[in-house]
Amino acid sequence: MNYHWNWGIYFQTVQAGEETYLDWLISGLGWTLAVALTAWLIALAMGAVMGTLRTLPGRAPLAIGNAWVEVFRNVPLLVQLFLWFFVVPELLPRDLALWVKQDMPAKEFVTAAICLGLFTSARIAEQVRAGIQSLPRGQRMAALALGFTLPQAYRYVILPMAFRIIIPPLTSEFMNIFKNSSVAFAIGVLELTFQARQMQEDSEQGIETYLAVTVLYFLCAFLANRGMAFIERRTRVPGFIAAGK
Amino acid sequence: MAMIEIRHVFKWYDKFQVLADCSTQVEKGEVVVVCGPSGSGKSTLIKCVNALEPFQQGEIVVDGVSVGASATNLPKLRARVGMVFQHFELFPHMSIVDNLTIGQVKVLGRPRELAREKGLNLLARVGLSAQAEKFPGQLSGGQQQRVAIARALSMDPICMLFDEPTSALDPEMINEVLDVMVELAAEGMTMMVVTHEMGFARKVANRVIFMDGGRIVEDDAKDTFFGNPRSERAQQFLAKILHH
Ligand SMILES: Nc1ncnc2c1ncn2[C@@H]1O[C@H](COP(=O)(O)OP(=O)(O)OP(=O)(O)O)[C@@H](O)[C@H]1O
Ligand SMILES: [Mg+2]
Repeated sequence: MNYHWNWGIYFQTVQAGEETYLDWLISGLGWTLAVALTAWLIALAMGAVMGTLRTLPGRAPLAIGNAWVEVFRNVPLLVQLFLWFFVVPELLPRDLALWVKQDMPAKEFVTAAICLGLFTSARIAEQVRAGIQSLPRGQRMAALALGFTLPQAYRYVILPMAFRIIIPPLTSEFMNIFKNSSVAFAIGVLELTFQARQMQEDSEQGIETYLAVTVLYFLCAFLANRGMAFIERRTRVPGFIAAGK
Repeated sequence: MAMIEIRHVFKWYDKFQVLADCSTQVEKGEVVVVCGPSGSGKSTLIKCVNALEPFQQGEIVVDGVSVGASATNLPKLRARVGMVFQHFELFPHMSIVDNLTIGQVKVLGRPRELAREKGLNLLARVGLSAQAEKFPGQLSGGQQQRVAIARALSMDPICMLFDEPTSALDPEMINEVLDVMVELAAEGMTMMVVTHEMGFARKVANRVIFMDGGRIVEDDAKDTFFGNPRSERAQQFLAKILHH
């Protein structure tokens, strides 16, 4: 192999500028974290709402919840990203479309976070629904019998237990969201993958570049996993044995 | 006026009739025991009283409020009717004392401190003060059911519904729960109790209702029921559960 190794590359300054390549990577990591964490909040909120809808009495909520899940689950993430970026603005009312295209701050970031958030929310909705349905039916009855409204029953009784039960699948979603955030480079978010491509072209040190990027993604997913394990321990219910385990 | 009035109630699951022309009433301070074979509609009837189950025909009036009327504020009505379930249904992620305060705080709007104090008093009353900070999963079935009764009482209910409160319990725990219920009856609580504990019925019931096939086939004063039930089904049923 005729590769010219250069492990010092990270600390060298880029071709045209003051920063080092490490600065690029760190700023890329920052955007990756920003996209992933913002998307995660969107995914949790919408996943909880849509998963809940699918367990409510009546046809309409179920239909809405099902449609949501199917749409976001059956179209490739990258295609969804392009749809949000190129197609959705065209469908907006004229003034809003113009604002989105020209003036919206951090347009690429916002688009990527929404897209990834909604994509992930479909998967979380599915888990939330399964979690709710795994609870004994009597729990809902007991909450209602106490005088809770249905929203209160969900807020105080059903969702807190359902979310505890689904922490394991949520953990892999949380890890996925960091990995999936790499598609954001395709619309020009300056996140880790984008910076990696830029660094590789600028430095011509492909191996060192992607090694560093691999390590950084690995750390993100690893820490996400550890973080969720911590939450699982903190929220563990003493004496509770999950049904079906 | 009776505390609970059940008038000509019918209920179907699709084509399947679960309740047929059920009528009875529970006076203030009365204890009414409901018994009958499995699948006869006892749970369904009692759950209709606080609208946990809807019914298609007839009327149920609780303390002057019609349960089936569309204008009725169901959460408000349910908050006044205590209910105890076969499988306790404590909220597993909350400590025992939190189980006793959440309804008071979120439904009745009581200040947290007051609610906690009331919860602790009720726990003392059912003999479980030492368990206040534990979680439901750490208690025995009998203890959980006593907490469930205390939780219902924390809302200051005007009447109490029990759906087979002891049938999920090991035999040695049944009495600790029945004792609490006997005490409650002695204090004048209006109670509608689905149970096969005939000892309990003999001790505290005013009336016994016997259901079969979705119908109320017997609705007697206690002494009549145990002394001389009119229907053959009730006689057979009694013979079976009294001599096993
Ligand atoms: N959700 C439902 N859908 C269809 N049928 C139901 C449903 N719930 C109950 N049933 C039927 O209604 C009938 C009455 O049920 P219910 O639970 O009220 O009986 P029960 O007298 O309480 O019996 P048990 O002593 O076993 O608790 C039964 O035949 C039962 O199979
Ligand atoms: Mg029953």
